[in-house]
Amino acid sequence: MSSTKDRIQQIAETYAQDELSKWTGSFSRDDLHHWLSTELGSDTALDQYQPHGPLQSKAVAPANILHIVSGNTAHAAHQSLLRGLILGSHNVVKIPSAGLPDFTDSLDQFPEELRKRIEVHRELSDEHWSKADAVVAIGSDESIATIHQKLRADQTFIPHMHKVSLGVVYEDFGPAARLAARDISLYNQQGCLSLHAVYVSGDSKAFASALAEEMAAFARENPADTLNTSEAGAIRNTRENARFCSANDQQTQLWESEDSLEWTVIHEPSPKLKLSCLNRCVYVKPLPTQFDTSTLGPQSQHLSTIALHPFNRANALKLEQLPAHRICPLGQSQQPSLYWHHDGFTPLASLVKWKDIG
Amino acid sequence: MREAVAGTALSDPDFNTLALQIFAYQYEYNIPYRNFCNSHGSTPDNLSHWHGIPALPTDAFKNESFPPSTFPVENAHKTFLTSGTSSEVRGKHHFASTNIYDQSIISAWQTLQLPNPEHAVFLIAPPEQSPDSSLSHMMGVIAGQLAEQSTWIMSHSGSLDLEKMLSVADKGKPVALFGTALSFLHLFDSIKNPICLPPGSWAMETGGYKGTRHQLTKTELYEKFKTKLKLDPGSIINEYSMTELSSQFYTSSLRQPHRGPSWTRVRVIDPLTNTDSKPGEPGHLIIYDLANLDSVMAIRTQDLAICNETNLEQEPSSFSLIGRDPSALPRGCSRSSDEILSP
Repeated sequence: MSSTKDRIQQIAETYAQDELSKWTGSFSRDDLHHWLSTELGSDTALDQYQPHGPLQSKAVAPANILHIVSGNTAHAAHQSLLRGLILGSHNVVKIPSAGLPDFTDSLDQFPEELRKRIEVHRELSDEHWSKADAVVAIGSDESIATIHQKLRADQTFIPHMHKVSLGVVYEDFGPAARLAARDISLYNQQGCLSLHAVYVSGDSKAFASALAEEMAAFARENPADTLNTSEAGAIRNTRENARFCSANDQQTQLWESEDSLEWTVIHEPSPKLKLSCLNRCVYVKPLPTQFDTSTLGPQSQHLSTIALHPFNRANALKLEQLPAHRICPLGQSQQPSLYWHHDGFTPLASLVKWKDIG
Repeated sequence: MREAVAGTALSDPDFNTLALQIFAYQYEYNIPYRNFCNSHGSTPDNLSHWHGIPALPTDAFKNESFPPSTFPVENAHKTFLTSGTSSEVRGKHHFASTNIYDQSIISAWQTLQLPNPEHAVFLIAPPEQSPDSSLSHMMGVIAGQLAEQSTWIMSHSGSLDLEKMLSVADKGKPVALFGTALSFLHLFDSIKNPICLPPGSWAMETGGYKGTRHQLTKTELYEKFKTKLKLDPGSIINEYSMTELSSQFYTSSLRQPHRGPSWTRVRVIDPLTNTDSKPGEPGHLIIYDLANLDSVMAIRTQDLAICNETNLEQEPSSFSLIGRDPSALPRGCSRSSDEILSP
C-alpha cells in the first residue's frame, strides 16, 4: 500500500468486522480521513508536503512502533495497533507472557497486507527495543519508569500509566443508575475506563440502592466472567470489610448479589477515592462540596475518565479542575470517541515527526 | 487461657470449648465485633463449633472509629501497627497486656521444638527503637527469654553493621540470625566474600517484600543464604504471622508446611463457595488464634494457602503457604505488563 488513502480504505473494511470493531468502536473510511485531518492538519500530511506557515511540511510516521500492552483487556492493544496501522508503521506488539487471546485470536481477521505489519511477541529481544522509533507502553507507574529507562533519547515514548475512572451523578437517579451499572459492569472493571466509584449529589444511599437493582439487572442479561480464586477472594474480603463497617456505621451500607459474587455495591461516607477490588464491585459516595484532589486523595491523581450525569457543558466544566483527561456522558465511559486524547495525548500526532522545506 | 498457652496440648474438643468461651467473651466486650457477628447472624447462643465463629478481615484493624477491641483502646498497654508507608492507613492491634502474647511466643517456640539461640543476632530494630512493631517486640521477647546472648546490628538509620555480626561469628559459637527477608537481602548486598558461620548456626526469616521492588522467590532467597552465609535450607526457619495475630507459625527448609501451636487452628476457604477448600486446593487462610484474647480470635487473611489431608486430620494448625494473594494489592488497569520489570 503506497498511499494513506489506500491504507485507510483497507483498514476501514477490516475493522468493519464485528470481531474487531467491538474493541475499537465502529468507524467509516470517512471517519478515519477526518480523524487524520484533525490530528495532522490534512489527511494527506503523511504523503505530501503541506503549507505550514512560511514552510512546507510533511508528517513522518515512525517506521517501527513497539506497543507494550497489559493483560487486562484487549481494548488498549487494539486501539494502539489501529493508530500504528493508520500511520503505516510496522507494529511489534508485546503481550503479557500469559497471553492475550482476545487480541491474538482476532489477528486472523486482518488481510495479508495489514497482517504483515503486525508482529506479536511475549518476550522482547534487544533488537525489538533498538529498532523501535516509538514505544507505546501500558503498565503500572513502576513498570513505565523501567521501560523509560531502557529507551534512547531519540525514541518517542507514549506512556499510559495506572489509571482509574469514576462517575458523578447530580440528579435523575433512575436512568443514571442504569447507565452507571453499564459503565461499571462492562468488561468486569478490567479497563482504565471502568468506574471504581460513583459520587452522588443528594441522597447517595438512595442512588446506591437503585444502582444495586440495576447491577443485578445487568448481571441477569450479561453474566459476569468466571472468577478465579484470587479475584473471588478479593471480593469476599471487600464485602467482609464493608460488612464490618456497615455493622458499626449507619452511613456505610452493603448491597451484594445473593449466593454469588456477581456484583457488590458499597455506600461509604468518606469522599476519598478508593480502588475497587474489580469484577463489578463499586463504591457509592456523597458528592463532597469541595470535589478536588485534596478531598479525593492520592488515587485522584490517576484519573482517566469522569462519567457524568446529566451530561452538559456546564456540569462538565464544574469538574474541569480534576486531573482527568476526559469527561463524558455516564453510560459511555467504555466507548471513547476515535478522537479522544488518550491520557491527554493526541494518539496520531504524538507519534509522528515532521520534515520541513523552506 | 493462660493454661492453654502454657504449652499444654489442646485436643480438638478442648480447643472447641475454649474457642466458644473466648468467642462469647469477645462477643460481649468487643462491641464492633459483636455488631459484625450479628450481621452474620452468629451469636454465642447459636454456635456449637469454632468453624462457625465469624472471621474478621484484617482491614477491620485499620478502623479508627470502631477498633475491634475488647477494652477501651485508650487503656491499651501496647499498640502494634501494621507496616505501611506514611500515606497508607495502618492497622492497629491494641493489647491490654502483652503477658499472653509474650507467653505465646515462648510456649510456641518450645512446643514446636525450635532451636534455642545461643548467640542471637538481630537484623531488626530493637523494641525500644520501634515500639509499635510487633516483630521487634517478638524479637525482644526472644532476646530476653530464649537467647543466651543477643546482638542488635540495625542502626537508627536502618543500616546493618556487618562488622558487628562478623565479630559475633568470630567467637566460634553457633549464631542465630533473625531478620525479615528484606533485611537479609540488604545483609547479602553488603557481603562481598561468602561468610562461613560457626557450625550449628541457623537463621530465621520472616515477612515479604511489601512496598519494595524486590520480588525474590523463596528458592532464590534461600540460594542467597547458601551463597553468602553457607546456610542450607534446612538451617533456615521461616516464621509466618501478622500484626493482627498473637501467635506464630513456623516452617523449616523449602516446601514444608507451616505449623502453629495447639491453641491455633486454621481453615483454608475457597472464596468462590465460601466453604472449606478441598484438600490440596488453594484458598484463603483463616486463622483462629486463642491468644488473640484482647481483640478477635478469628482472622480472615488475604494470604493463599493449601491444606492437605494430613494437615486436616493430624495437624489442624498446619498449612502450606502459597503467599500473598496478588488481588490483595491495589490494582488499576495495568497489571500483567509489570513482568517487563524482570531482567
